[in-house]
Amino acid sequence: MDDPLLELNKAGSEQPEARNSSDGARQRFVLGETGFNEVPRKYRKFYRKWQGEGDSLALNEVLCPVCLVVIRSSRELRVGDRVYCMPCMSRLIVTREDGILLAKVVY
Amino acid sequence: MSDFLSAFSIQSWLESCPQGYLDSTEYGHRPGEKESEAMLDNEDFLEQEIRTTVQLVLGERAALAASSGLINLAPDDPSRMFLATQTLDEARHVEIFTQRLYDLGVKKSDLDGTLANYGNPNLVKFAEVLLEKIDKGDFVAGVVGQNIVLEGMAFSVFEMMHATNEIANPKFAHTLSGTIADERRHVGFGENRIGSLLQAQPEKKPEIQKMQQEMTAHMLAVFSDSFAESEEVIQEVQTSADPDAGPAMYQGVDLNTADSEEMEAVLSNTVIGEFKTRLARIGLEYLPPAA
Amino acid sequence: MSETVEPHELSQEDFLAEVHSFQFWLEAVDGYLGGTSFGCDPDLPEQTFAGEELEFLITTLCNYCIGERAALEASSGMIRFAPDPEAAIFLATQVVDEGRHLEVFVHRLKMLGVSDPWTEIDQRANHSLLKFKDRLLEFVDQRDWEASLLVQNVILEAMEFSAFQAHAASADPITAAVLTGVVKDERRHMGFGENDLGRKLLHAPHTRSRLNQIARELNTLALSTFSEIAESLGLQGETDVSANYLATMDRLGFPHG
Repeated sequence: MDDPLLELNKAGSEQPEARNSSDGARQRFVLGETGFNEVPRKYRKFYRKWQGEGDSLALNEVLCPVCLVVIRSSRELRVGDRVYCMPCMSRLIVTREDGILLAKVVY
Repeated sequence: MSDFLSAFSIQSWLESCPQGYLDSTEYGHRPGEKESEAMLDNEDFLEQEIRTTVQLVLGERAALAASSGLINLAPDDPSRMFLATQTLDEARHVEIFTQRLYDLGVKKSDLDGTLANYGNPNLVKFAEVLLEKIDKGDFVAGVVGQNIVLEGMAFSVFEMMHATNEIANPKFAHTLSGTIADERRHVGFGENRIGSLLQAQPEKKPEIQKMQQEMTAHMLAVFSDSFAESEEVIQEVQTSADPDAGPAMYQGVDLNTADSEEMEAVLSNTVIGEFKTRLARIGLEYLPPAA
Repeated sequence: MSETVEPHELSQEDFLAEVHSFQFWLEAVDGYLGGTSFGCDPDLPEQTFAGEELEFLITTLCNYCIGERAALEASSGMIRFAPDPEAAIFLATQVVDEGRHLEVFVHRLKMLGVSDPWTEIDQRANHSLLKFKDRLLEFVDQRDWEASLLVQNVILEAMEFSAFQAHAASADPITAAVLTGVVKDERRHMGFGENDLGRKLLHAPHTRSRLNQIARELNTLALSTFSEIAESLGLQGETDVSANYLATMDRLGFPHG
């Protein structure tokens, strides 16, 4: 699929860049390498290490409660989205608790 | 013993296998390689390849069950660690041959049916003889059955198939090269580790030889069934082959011109010759199948 | 360069087939074991240890070896009764991971001057951990998939995960590197256990009370071992080795206590 925003950001910096599309749809993100090396190369940019205190999650990120790795998506995440944590093989659903997006394991 | 086993460490395995000959491969072959179109377009050829690959999957499943079962029977930790690498090698073989069935058009939902339909009953019996020893907790018999008889057979079968496919189907030939490299380690471990254990337990020899005799009988029955079933297809493949392709030599026989009987003879003789040599090196006598 | 694939778009079936495969394991470990020798960069400097500090480290590593040996024997035994070929292939990757852990810890013991690590491991073994191992192998011998998975991939792996992570944070550079690599493997094992058990429990809720009883019996043994280790390494107070395990049991719907 051609996505002008993705094209726009292909030469992006280390940090993922995001832009709102005009119709209020989800933001799209161009993912860069994060240094995470525990999954095959083609999947590495979809995960990063949780840095602990001081770290924060972007709109396209949730924390895996099983193995505490940050799961990333190329689009903004919303309640009900399904994501996978490949490092620990978990299937998760994005939920909201106390205003914060969380991932919940679905067996 | 521990010095010898250091060559069979997981570190050596990592360097030689995942970081060595499997580096940048996909299911054991080079990325993007496809099965031969001439084979995929011919129903008889395709069915023959599926039938052959089914035997490989079943053989490797038996090897996976056997090698994993041997870990808990091993008398020392270094042997356990080598067998851990062998277990993963066998699992990889199950995976790559299963993937080949999918590449040949078998649907995932039809996998069990395909295995049941084409699996040779003599191969199942061959595996049962081996697994019975492992279930009884007999490490020495288990290693002879697994690493000398089963692996010795697989080694020769893969080499012969590699010779047939090197020109005709490079994808499959590349898949086989990796498995041949793995089998080399397995037979090496079997011979080297078991020799000393047998010296310490000579009373085990008659029972192990009987196991080898039974396994050999089932193996020869598999060969006989397979070559009989494929006689016509072999002729058809040879007739339709590129006349300019060079010979496919295996043990002095050109597989591009040999008939199925010659092929069966060269394979059986090679495997039995290897059995005799390897068994003699560890102090066992080869017993031919009972008449 | 490999093609990028959004993993979250896979069907669940394709996702499980992918992550349980040898191919996935091969490409995953290549990321963090490439260029290492026995789990670390061979050029890392060795630290000088004080007498008691060295003793504690050796005892700790010996007990890590007992845990890894238990996992090696259990995971290999489980292959024969794995519920499907994909689970068998995943377990085969776990077998080699556990064998590798045993090997890198033994190698570390040799680097620390232990001339006969195998004997040393037996001599320094924690009795609770040995009892834990025996019970685990009993479940494996009985071909009890759910119990084996709970004891090995949930209780043992979850506690090891916490203990190794905490130890890596304060260990000497070589031990820390070895432990960090091990933790990366444990993530797969722990996740496999929780997810497979979670799926099984959905279809067989009647097994829950039996498994809960097993957990109560065995988590005490594992907890006492890893708490002792944390104490000897001076990690107590900062590390709760049971926190990760309790969180897992909570997600699986087991009552605490």
